[in-house]
Amino acid sequence: MSAIRVSGVDVTFTTASGPIKALSNIAIDIPRGQFCVLIGPSGCGKSTLLRVIADLQAPDRGEVQVFGGNPAEARHARRISFVFQEATLLPWRSVIDNVRLPLEVGKWKSVGRPNRDPGELLKLVGLSGRESAQPHQLSGGQRQRVAIARALVTRPDVLLMDEPFGALDEITRERLNDEMLKIWLDTGTTIVFVTHSLPEAAFLGQSVAVMAAHPGRMSQTINLEGEKPAGAIDRSSAKFFEITSDLRRHLETAEGMA
Amino acid sequence: MMTILRPIIGLSSLVLAWALAVWLFNVPNYISPGPLGVAKAFGTNFTVLFKNFVPTAQAAIGGFLIGNFAAICIATVFVHWNRVREIYLPVAVFFNTIPIIALAPVLILIFGLGITSKIMVSAIVCFFPMLVNMIRGFQSVSPSELELMRVMSASRREVFFKLRLPRSVPFLFAALRISATASVIGAIVAEWIGAELGLGVLIIQTTFDYRTELLYAAIATSSLLALTMFTIVVAAETFIVRWRTS
Repeated sequence: MSAIRVSGVDVTFTTASGPIKALSNIAIDIPRGQFCVLIGPSGCGKSTLLRVIADLQAPDRGEVQVFGGNPAEARHARRISFVFQEATLLPWRSVIDNVRLPLEVGKWKSVGRPNRDPGELLKLVGLSGRESAQPHQLSGGQRQRVAIARALVTRPDVLLMDEPFGALDEITRERLNDEMLKIWLDTGTTIVFVTHSLPEAAFLGQSVAVMAAHPGRMSQTINLEGEKPAGAIDRSSAKFFEITSDLRRHLETAEGMA
Repeated sequence: MMTILRPIIGLSSLVLAWALAVWLFNVPNYISPGPLGVAKAFGTNFTVLFKNFVPTAQAAIGGFLIGNFAAICIATVFVHWNRVREIYLPVAVFFNTIPIIALAPVLILIFGLGITSKIMVSAIVCFFPMLVNMIRGFQSVSPSELELMRVMSASRREVFFKLRLPRSVPFLFAALRISATASVIGAIVAEWIGAELGLGVLIIQTTFDYRTELLYAAIATSSLLALTMFTIVVAAETFIVRWRTS
């Protein structure tokens, strides 16, 4: 059964210099429990697609289904969590209180799903002992870990991540990729992950959807399920290099289409 | 320690220069007394000063509380209903262009010579800076913060109390610092126009009577009132705002 089904979606933005077609006839089907990576050149609308799935952006045309219902229903049922490029932690709240935030709003109690323990989640993202720290005392990587813990506290069925590690250095990013993969294997949640980093896509993706720009559209979906070992792939292996090169070629093809 | 000591050195040097100028140029007492004379006037006129201090303090504190509270409430309405803001904010801006000294007589005509009109003048002086600051404060949330709240299906009420209100706290205190001193100005202006008792009345009377030492003591007392209110605001701010924006 598919977790997310998008078909025929168009999104047009009106700007001062005329309308811009951000998404054109997008179709994608993401099975339940899959780690799906969206990759593409800047301006291809990968973030917009993520925002359409999260009900943050209404499509002009087409249909979006999240677990068989519309995105608004999934959002109200609190089945969706979103991780932004900036951690967007509330600076007046301690780390643990930031993780608790989703449980304090949006009629969480009436959802009737048990939440995860905020302290346990902080342990999971490697921040135990920092519960009462203030966000400004944390590094960029640590802040993003808190944002991930906050996203997981409601046990979401879909985790949408919009270039969450885009502002981090390479080493921090690789470490967080390792942890993200562990979290995915551990929770079994469906993840849609937007990035413009090829190694990140190759490392994380179970399937990688390549998009093209102007207008934003789907170019190709590459299934890596049989290609990679279960769990983390060795980044220095020939296989990893092969997958990354393969993705690069697809991306170049997509850009050539523009 | 030095941060407290340095302004004290600054103030002392000015007082010393004042004493020196009065002595050097042999300034007559009715034009400007020396600091010692003023200090003495504090002692001999303590009862008069205190009797006039109380109504001014009441008016300033009353106006401070009412003006700021009203401004926060209206800013809350403005931030939730854009149409209401578009209709009434320009009107508020227009009223703010009327000098308070021109508005005060009107208020005294309406509310009489009692404390009500003084509180009203003081409240109006506090109102506008708070209104403008709180609108900006409530709007200082980032788009991604609003999107975060939306993904969590937060209600408007939750967005306000969990996000907009805490975000606006630095703006709140910026406005409170302004109105802490402005409220005293408002009360004294109202007392100039017409009142029976108060530091403003005392300032006018002593000026006309050439009781300069008591005049200076009254000025110092009003400054002390404003300074006390300002200090309370700053203390509250350091106690409440412990977080920093990145």
